[in-house]
Amino acid sequence: MDNARSEGFGVIWMKRERPKILLPSLREKERYVKFKVISEEPIQYSDLESAIWNSFLDFYGELGVSELSLWIIKNLWDEKEQVGVIKCNNKSVEKVLAGLGLISRLGDSRIIFKILKVSGTIKGLK
Amino acid sequence: MQAFDLHVHSAFSGGESSLEELAKTAKLLGFRGICFVFYYQDERQKEILLAEIERIRKEVGIDLYLGFEARDLKELKFLAKHRRSFDLLLARGGEIEMNREACETPEVDILTHPEYQRNDSGLDHVCMKFAAKNNVAIEVNFREILITNKKTRAMVMANIARNIKLAKKYHASIILCSGAISHWELRSPECLVSMACQLGLELNEAKKAISEVPKRIIEKAKERRSEKWIMPGVKVLE
Repeated sequence: MDNARSEGFGVIWMKRERPKILLPSLREKERYVKFKVISEEPIQYSDLESAIWNSFLDFYGELGVSELSLWIIKNLWDEKEQVGVIKCNNKSVEKVLAGLGLISRLGDSRIIFKILKVSGTIKGLK
Repeated sequence: MQAFDLHVHSAFSGGESSLEELAKTAKLLGFRGICFVFYYQDERQKEILLAEIERIRKEVGIDLYLGFEARDLKELKFLAKHRRSFDLLLARGGEIEMNREACETPEVDILTHPEYQRNDSGLDHVCMKFAAKNNVAIEVNFREILITNKKTRAMVMANIARNIKLAKKYHASIILCSGAISHWELRSPECLVSMACQLGLELNEAKKAISEVPKRIIEKAKERRSEKWIMPGVKVLE
């Protein structure tokens, strides 16, 4: 609801908090990468998140990471199974997988990322 | 995609992990087979290693191969002479003479990290032509990238990218290997393929470099070890 029309019809003015959702053709295509962490000790989400961001920023730089549309999905981190999901755009899947391969340590614990699946939807990962 | 990693070092050859640990991790990561690389000592060592590999193959259920890595020209000549008694022959690259000799030797299967500890890529167009002619695969060693960082990593990657460009131009085979010395240095095949894509390979070429090229090398090795094989291009037909 835009500002002018709201005033004209006497409707309470409401501030829009988010921009309108883009048309599907204008939206960026997403990819979800499901991975499993193989490690010496169980990994906490916060440690994993900082390790991934630091490694990617080191390897690709700030501009490079900005092009990945990288996001680590907190809700989908399974601490018991040590399985997580990373979201990125469809053009940068290879970059994300290569970047994950370069993470070899998390604190004192050595880790390996096993790539389980890459899908266009979260539902498709199951 | 059936992935193979044909350059893995164990505790027997300057590595940190046992053969079991390496085989189990490789299976977990989705590899169809791996090749344990050793440095040749004597016939007794070879027999022990073959027996050990056979035991682990049955225990873990993954294809395992025995390879020897020649560290200098003398060792390369010796191993080339006794080529039929083991699966794969790798030549440790880095020195310019070694790179050239390995490319010129048809018995060599893989030239490992030709850019190792160098400021240049270690290979030129002449070497690439020989490598293509003699079916010597040029290795893209992931460990070289993994263990370095900042400036060194940038240089290593630039050198690998240059070798890939040359290999593509002269149709030499490229093979993707982890070069791991510990089971914690093994990487998922998808990660290796994606890294190769960042270095200048197309996705289908990178997939070939981890599946079809190693498979072809293994088949060639098996053929060479059979009793019907006499010399390259000559074998007994029934």
